[in-house]
Amino acid sequence: MSVVKNVYRPITAEILDVVTETPTIKTFTVGPKEDIGFKAGEFMELTVPGLGEAPFTPSSSPSVKDKIDFTIMNVGKVTDAIHHMDKGATVGVRGPFGAGYPLDAWKGKEILIVGGGVGGAPLRALFLALVERLDDFKRILYCYGAKTPEDLVYKELLMNKWPKLDPKKIEMRVTVDEGDSSWKGNVGVVTTVVKDLGMDLANSIGVVCGPPVMMKFGTFSLVELGFPHNAIYLSMEKNMSCGIGKCGHCMLGEFMVCQDGPVMTYDKVKDKPAIWE
Amino acid sequence: MEAHFLTDSDLVSFLNWLEKRGDVYVTARDDDGNVGIKPYSETGDFAYPGVRAFQPLKPFFFSALEEVAEYPSTESPIKESKPFAIIGAAGCDLRAIEALDKVFLEGDFKDPFYEERRNKSLIIGIDCTEPLETCFCVLVGVKPYAEKGFDLGLVKIEGGYVVEVGSEKGKVVVGENKGLFKPATENHLSQRDGVRKKTTDMVEKQSKEFKPGGTWQSVMAKAYEDNAWSKNVETCVECGACLFICPTCQCFLLYDQKTKDKYKRLKMWDTCAYRSFARVAGGANPRDQLIERFKHRYYHKFDYFFKNYEFEACTGCGRCIVACPGEIDMRKVLKEICRS
Ligand SMILES: Cc1cc2nc3c(=O)[nH]c(=O)nc-3n(C[C@H](O)[C@H](O)[C@H](O)COP(=O)(O)OP(=O)(O)OC[C@H]3O[C@@H](n4cnc5c(N)ncnc54)[C@H](O)[C@@H]3O)c2cc1C
Ligand code: SF4
Ligand code: FES
Repeated sequence: MSVVKNVYRPITAEILDVVTETPTIKTFTVGPKEDIGFKAGEFMELTVPGLGEAPFTPSSSPSVKDKIDFTIMNVGKVTDAIHHMDKGATVGVRGPFGAGYPLDAWKGKEILIVGGGVGGAPLRALFLALVERLDDFKRILYCYGAKTPEDLVYKELLMNKWPKLDPKKIEMRVTVDEGDSSWKGNVGVVTTVVKDLGMDLANSIGVVCGPPVMMKFGTFSLVELGFPHNAIYLSMEKNMSCGIGKCGHCMLGEFMVCQDGPVMTYDKVKDKPAIWE
Repeated sequence: MEAHFLTDSDLVSFLNWLEKRGDVYVTARDDDGNVGIKPYSETGDFAYPGVRAFQPLKPFFFSALEEVAEYPSTESPIKESKPFAIIGAAGCDLRAIEALDKVFLEGDFKDPFYEERRNKSLIIGIDCTEPLETCFCVLVGVKPYAEKGFDLGLVKIEGGYVVEVGSEKGKVVVGENKGLFKPATENHLSQRDGVRKKTTDMVEKQSKEFKPGGTWQSVMAKAYEDNAWSKNVETCVECGACLFICPTCQCFLLYDQKTKDKYKRLKMWDTCAYRSFARVAGGANPRDQLIERFKHRYYHKFDYFFKNYEFEACTGCGRCIVACPGEIDMRKVLKEICRS
């Protein structure tokens, strides 16, 4: 039998750790049994044995090779099954697939990140990758929003750790739609903190990742602020099956989002049918 | 192009030789006169069809349901397939293979299952002589004869066939049957040209009323919001027949199953006509409405595919017109959206 690489076969991986982030979101650290690296923004297909696959973007640093984190919201069949898995359980991974964030092209720029909900997952991988080569970038402004303080993913990182990394270069703005008695920060949707940026827009990059409504209004606010359309990087969430540009599920206009994306600039997609759905 | 002449009886000898080499499939007419594809071992002869078969050739390379992985495992079970030959691919069938090759063999990833069977195939094209009323290949840049994309191409002429060699693979099999293939004469070639001209004229004549005013892309660029879509979608029952019978539809779904002590991954045909096809978590759906899915099919064939590969993914074979229980005729739909 000839040995050809079978792109449909999942690589066996073990769940090494599970962290509950919010009532609906958990982070799973998995250890793949074969080498499988990735770049920030690229995604993988995670298999629940016998049940099926779903696409997720790793949320850990791309420079860590033997363990990969996935931060997953429980929304349906596959994600619910994953949420019921514990340390030691076996899953499968396939990938990485698609186009991630082109960090090399961003050298010397200021970077605005706008995120919401579980969109924080790919953004954590991006943030960690940026921080590892912080000299390459002028500044990072990270705006993140969640429904309530309870729904903040990576709360400790966002509120305490990351702002202290390099206060001159890194600024965090965290907001919630609805506060509670303990919340001292900003209240309002994420777009309410995307202002007074103090950025040189001709030399800046905008990154948006989150639930559909947030993607839409987040993008519109960057456009309004004057970001060039080709400097706004979106993570397009489409239904996916194969991940390799063949099965047709993820089509957006002529693009196969699993290969041409998931990270795509706004100028490329803005005129395609139903980009926000 | 290298051309030979093969007598009627030498074609039979050639088919018998092919059968020793692997499986052989030929076009054959059934009692109703419809052209189908059957194993040569069943038919024992080859009736020059003069038109495409009822079924597309796609399943030879991309089956409706196949196992693509077993896990957990560390190997890649890509079953080796037997060499096989298909005799009777019409011009539209050849274009369809060209389209599927783009999808499954290009890009960062190849589909290894498609590739394996494609490598094992010998495609023998034919020139059409009896186009169907639904044929419109000439409107999408396809010739009603074996122009390219074949290993060997057959044209029926008096007493035998002109055989054109279209690939290295074709050259090799001809080389191994030197005794059968005679040089084609000027007379043979002019008969071939006559067949081609006659059929092309026929298809052009019946397609004239559907000819777009410009390129398909220029038409589609203006048509998205056209009123004619909603009227045309009325009789669509979302069965997916047009897509399953389409020789270029590529869509599939990976589907996992538990077996006794392992898990299996299957790849099965899927269609963008189904409502859940593009639905994402949380219920958002870029093509929730039937009309959006209906348009997606036309846009994929006539616009999106062209943008990626510089030819349309519609081959003009007309199979979807025949298959549709709602009597939706793609040519008429396009004509209406072009006109308004
Ligand atoms: C590139 C990419 C990266 C993603 N990254 C993350 C992440 O880091 N964290 C996270 O929580 N979620 C992420 N998602 C969303 C996640 O893939 C869906 O929540 C998940 O597919 C839902 O599967 P389900 O079976 O639980 O849901 P169900 O609603 O039960 O879905 C059933 C089936 O529909 C299909 N489907 C439904 N929604 C989607 C979808 N959004 N994308 C693709 N197929 C879908 C799948 O085939 C799925 O098996 C990402 C999606 C994409 C496209
Ligand atoms: S569409 Fe053209 S090539 Fe296809 S069967 Fe009809 S005449 Fe032949
Ligand atoms: S997920 Fe299959 S083509 Fe993109």
